Amino acid sequence: MSLRQVRKTYDAQEIVHGVDLEVADQEFVVLVGPSGCGKSTLLRMIAGLEEISGGEIAIGERTVNEVDPKDRDVAMVFQDYALYPHLTVFQNIAFSLQYRNVGKAEIARRVAEVAAILDIEPLLERKPRQLSGGQRQRVAMGRAIVREPKVFLFDEPLSNLDAKLRVQMRTEIKKLRERVRTTAIYVTHDQVEAMTLADRIVLMHNGQVEQIGTPEDVYDEPATLFVAGFVGTSAMNLIQGRIEGGAVIFGDGARLVLPPSRYDAHAGKAVTIGLRPEHLHWAKDGDPNPLVGVARVVEPLGSDTLVVFDVAGCELQARLPPRVVRHAGEAVRVAVAPESIHLFDPATERRL
Amino acid sequence: MAARPSRPRLLLRHATLVAVSFVMLLPFYWVMKTAVTNENIYAYPPGIVPRDPHLFNFVDVWYLIPFPRYLLNSIVVSAIAVAGNVVLNAMAGYALTRQFPGRRAVLALFLSCMLIPFQATIIPAYLITAKMGLLNTYFGLAFPMLSTIICIFVFKAAFEAVPRSLIDAARLDGLSEWRIILRVLLPLSKPAIATNVILSFIWSWNNFLWPLLITRDPTMQTLPLGLARFLSYMEDTTGALYAFAVLVLAPSVLVFLMAQKEFIRGLTSGATKG
Ligand SMILES: Nc1ncnc2c1ncn2[C@@H]1O[C@H](COP(=O)(O)OP(=O)(O)O)[C@@H](O)[C@H]1O
Ligand SMILES: [Mg+2]
Repeated sequence: MSLRQVRKTYDAQEIVHGVDLEVADQEFVVLVGPSGCGKSTLLRMIAGLEEISGGEIAIGERTVNEVDPKDRDVAMVFQDYALYPHLTVFQNIAFSLQYRNVGKAEIARRVAEVAAILDIEPLLERKPRQLSGGQRQRVAMGRAIVREPKVFLFDEPLSNLDAKLRVQMRTEIKKLRERVRTTAIYVTHDQVEAMTLADRIVLMHNGQVEQIGTPEDVYDEPATLFVAGFVGTSAMNLIQGRIEGGAVIFGDGARLVLPPSRYDAHAGKAVTIGLRPEHLHWAKDGDPNPLVGVARVVEPLGSDTLVVFDVAGCELQARLPPRVVRHAGEAVRVAVAPESIHLFDPATERRL
Repeated sequence: MAARPSRPRLLLRHATLVAVSFVMLLPFYWVMKTAVTNENIYAYPPGIVPRDPHLFNFVDVWYLIPFPRYLLNSIVVSAIAVAGNVVLNAMAGYALTRQFPGRRAVLALFLSCMLIPFQATIIPAYLITAKMGLLNTYFGLAFPMLSTIICIFVFKAAFEAVPRSLIDAARLDGLSEWRIILRVLLPLSKPAIATNVILSFIWSWNNFLWPLLITRDPTMQTLPLGLARFLSYMEDTTGALYAFAVLVLAPSVLVFLMAQKEFIRGLTSGATKG
């Protein structure tokens, strides 16, 4: 599937600005970004529920700009599940097949097969209102799977579930992918969902693609400041600084050595420094780039502890092993490897 | 759900309801009572219990005038009107939930048409019906009542309450617009259907002016016209007249009872969630 310069305009206002994307066969692509950035709009254009204001969408070899939603061979799972309240689970799953000239026996066989995959066999005679959120979610998936479409589209399918169920369903979706290998585009605003599910992530911001890459790519080498701030369980520390003699200087004189000769072309330049809290580790003697400061806030999370501390007049956050720092006011000694320092141009907000 | 009110308040509430029901039902009871006796309604002192109840008045009504014929006419005309309202209003209501150029103009036109009383358009309506050769026909009798703007809005509101994602899902499932109305929207809009059925039935059933205007042939007349004719040639009408009234009322009450649960939900929908 491919998108070329796809745009969407509402009332003379452009919501999606020229998105390009190639999706390989059987690939699981996650569109992620803050809410209102145009993810749903893009997905709905792929489904054919929204007109395309500009550009081209192709599924397989076929350009589908003018093709009816029902003839695009895509199935969609909606955020609110969109189960028909007046039909039973069986009828909900079978509904689309009835309009596609599938025989009665074949329908029964396929629904039974899907129900077995999703473990919802005992629910087939119930109405949607008699189901829990997680069960409705499964039925919604079943309705998509039974069609055996070319492409699955998911619009924030887990966002109506509580936190625990969400994690559980995330794992289920991942397992399901092993059984049902179909191209899928999955929309979410949750970066953890994106990182865990995706073969490739498309990061969107204000109707524009910020970066496309594997979860490792976007974590290790965020292309823009926005991506840097969005990806990662705890937000990246972003501080202003300057490149000087193979190092960056920030605050009132703190110095971090950079990988040798990598940023030579940018010497003397003002930069935004990005440091992931998990890359600030407790310093041993001899570690490069030690930073010494005073803890301000200590948040124990069990498996590790988030520590906000002051260093050289800047406030940083570090994710440290439990119990190395217990109280605010204690001294903090952390270090960061030169390779873990991200530098961005403050003007263009792009990675150096 | 609100907390259960205290006992004295509950009593007060029920007492009020009983009193209001009494006021509403008394005239109805009076009609029934007079229909099964020949008591003059002005008789003094008024009696609550009917003396010597009998059904001769009903028999008179049935045989003295072609009552069965009027009844048949009324039923056929109302059935056409009800079918027309449900089908046409659902289609129009769905159209109004969609975006299309000129939608606002159509809405404004509909709303302004509601301000024009039927009496003001009855002459052109007559001329049109006559031109179409529908005078003295069942279809002609039902013609101006085939669709009602208020009832279009009842469907529009009900369809708008259906989540947009359901319609999107149906579209992806391969349903045409017609099937979306038939298989998804209408099954979820039963209160709106009931409201359409009851209102259009009552309006058509009770209509007097239009049938009076377009029927020359007495065999095509409906019950309200029959009632008027009956009045004009019966002498002492009291008992028989009331029997007639009961017979005219009965089908409306029947339709209402059959659809009332959904009807009440339709009128109050939106008042509460779920
Ligand atoms: N029908 C519409 N008319 C006008 N603006 C719309 C419409 N649908 C969405 N938008 C706007 O488009 C932007 C993107 O919406 P959406 O794609 O739903 O975002 P997301 O799914 O990423 O949260 C939002 O700012 C929203 O206000
Ligand atoms: Mg959305």
